[in-house]
Amino acid sequence: MALNSSLQQAIDKIVEKTEKEILLDLKNSVSDSKQTLDDSLSKLEQEYDKIILDGKKEADKVEKKIIGSSELDVRNKQLLLLEEGVTKVFSKALDQIANTDRSGDYSNLINTLLDEATKILGTTKVIVFTNTKDKDVVQSALSKFSGSELSSDTIDCLGGILIKSKDGTMTFDNTIDARIERLKPLIRKEIASTFGVGN
Amino acid sequence: MTVEGGVQYSKIAEIKGPLVVVDDVDNAAFDELVEIETSEGEKRLGKVLEVGNGKAIVQVFEGTTGLSISGTKAKFVGKVMEMPVSKEVLGRVFDGLGRPKDGLPDPIADKFVDINGEPMNPEQREYPKDFIQTGISVIDGLMTLVRGQKLPIFSGSGMSHNLLAAQIARQASVVGTQDDFAVVFAAIGVQYSEAEYFRRSLEESGALKRSVLFLNTADNPAIERIITPRVALTVAEYLAFDLGMHVLVIMTDMTNYCEALREISAAREEVPGRKGYPGYLYTDLSTIYERAGKLQGRKGSVTQIPILSMPSDDITHPIPDLTGYITEGQIVISRDLFRQGIYPPINILMSLSRLMKDGIGEGSTREDHSEVANQVYDAYSRAQEVRALAGIVGKAGLTEIDLKYMDVGDLFEKEFLSQAIDENRTIEETLGILWKIVSKLPKNEITKIKDKYIEQYYKEE
Repeated sequence: MALNSSLQQAIDKIVEKTEKEILLDLKNSVSDSKQTLDDSLSKLEQEYDKIILDGKKEADKVEKKIIGSSELDVRNKQLLLLEEGVTKVFSKALDQIANTDRSGDYSNLINTLLDEATKILGTTKVIVFTNTKDKDVVQSALSKFSGSELSSDTIDCLGGILIKSKDGTMTFDNTIDARIERLKPLIRKEIASTFGVGN
Repeated sequence: MTVEGGVQYSKIAEIKGPLVVVDDVDNAAFDELVEIETSEGEKRLGKVLEVGNGKAIVQVFEGTTGLSISGTKAKFVGKVMEMPVSKEVLGRVFDGLGRPKDGLPDPIADKFVDINGEPMNPEQREYPKDFIQTGISVIDGLMTLVRGQKLPIFSGSGMSHNLLAAQIARQASVVGTQDDFAVVFAAIGVQYSEAEYFRRSLEESGALKRSVLFLNTADNPAIERIITPRVALTVAEYLAFDLGMHVLVIMTDMTNYCEALREISAAREEVPGRKGYPGYLYTDLSTIYERAGKLQGRKGSVTQIPILSMPSDDITHPIPDLTGYITEGQIVISRDLFRQGIYPPINILMSLSRLMKDGIGEGSTREDHSEVANQVYDAYSRAQEVRALAGIVGKAGLTEIDLKYMDVGDLFEKEFLSQAIDENRTIEETLGILWKIVSKLPKNEITKIKDKYIEQYYKEE
């Protein structure tokens, strides 16, 4: 009986000790878990913030890309349309210039062009080229420029003259075509401004 | 622009390399634009380099291949080379001479500007002090770029400077202001694939609408490269000083520009200087780099990032050497880091932004920026020494603090220096990483930062 009681006491002691140990372990585990959870929460929050930030950045990037390329597309289409308009105006103006009446002030224009061209070359001993339409007007103007002569060859142009020094080393193009070409960027700007662009 | 044209001369005395010598010329002017017409009627552009004794030496931009003495004509246009400028140039792609390359018409010009620009009055210059965010941590954090600065990137052949250039072009922005920002990108003598990469990169990121691209590819005549940076800077100056924008000009690769300069100099039989480059290389480069800056009373600014590849990675080569004299610091790309696969492979110990101190701190970036940057510089420098020591005595021979510095060096390269090519970091993120690195050090090793900042930002692990 006494043996049984001692055994029972020993067992109780072991059970009690084990229970205490288990309870302590459980307590520790709970507190560890709590700690881990607390740590994870802040990490999670950081991770969450980072994901949100990255997502926002990505969204901004995509937004910029879409808006940027569509704005550019629209602008480029506008530029092409504008250019089409400018070209139409240009070709219409060139047609009108080509069909200008050669009488009246036109001979004054030829005179001015010849004067300007010979001054730039520094000599009046030149060969003058022009188109078929302007041959007569040019021929009559040449009397004022001694040493100059009209070439029998004609050139393809809207009007005006091209002169060459007699030794053939210097040429000056004073045709209307050349003058328009030189001023083309400015004329384009003027035309574009009438469409409400540029100014 | 005038209605008067120029005289066309047909007496060509000599064709030598990229030069054409025209005889019996009256009234030609230095730098005057010349239209060369071949016997087949093809037109090329050039400019007058020298006049005198009835002769004019003309440098042909598109090269002299196919030209012959008989049949070639030179027309002196009567004006210097001009670039048509307007706000419409934004979003456009041009070739190295400023002609449209995107299939769109010539821009409707607001005005025509001499591509040589006007020298800035030194008295009118304003000291650069406003921060530009590139989104690249190592630049923003340790070698900060400021508006109006010229900060070159020294690289070597085959390294990732073009990736870096494109990333800066895509990401750069001005913070804390509503002012407009634009990027002018000049590719000088780059490969076709690189030019396409720049164009695509800006198009796909949506950054093209605020950019202007000038692309001179390697197959274009070398002489065109003389013009490319000048047309790019002309556009930049217009955007900055006429339209009030903050403009970042990226020019890559300036070495190709200098090679073209050497080619012309050799053809002119000038006395060569170091490595065959002309003696006036310094002066010539300064006419490009000195076009960066800010002017008093004007809203905009021109900031330059010229990129040059150092032949044989030699930093004493005349190009980086002379560039370094003119510019305000340098960013050096390291082949060692590049080989380790680190991007961007910037060697911070050899790099420096001389104007950084004025562009950072309270009101620009953050009050602790300067100190935390100095501390990281110092720590990384120490880490490099420790690595060298470890190479001799082995890791086992290092002290505990040495090992800490080694870790700091590794962390620096892994988390701060390394960055994805599409990763755009804000300055706050950059400073955050700098503090993470500093926090790896024991507090008693932090000697360059005020206690109040340590209390605020130091996070012991």
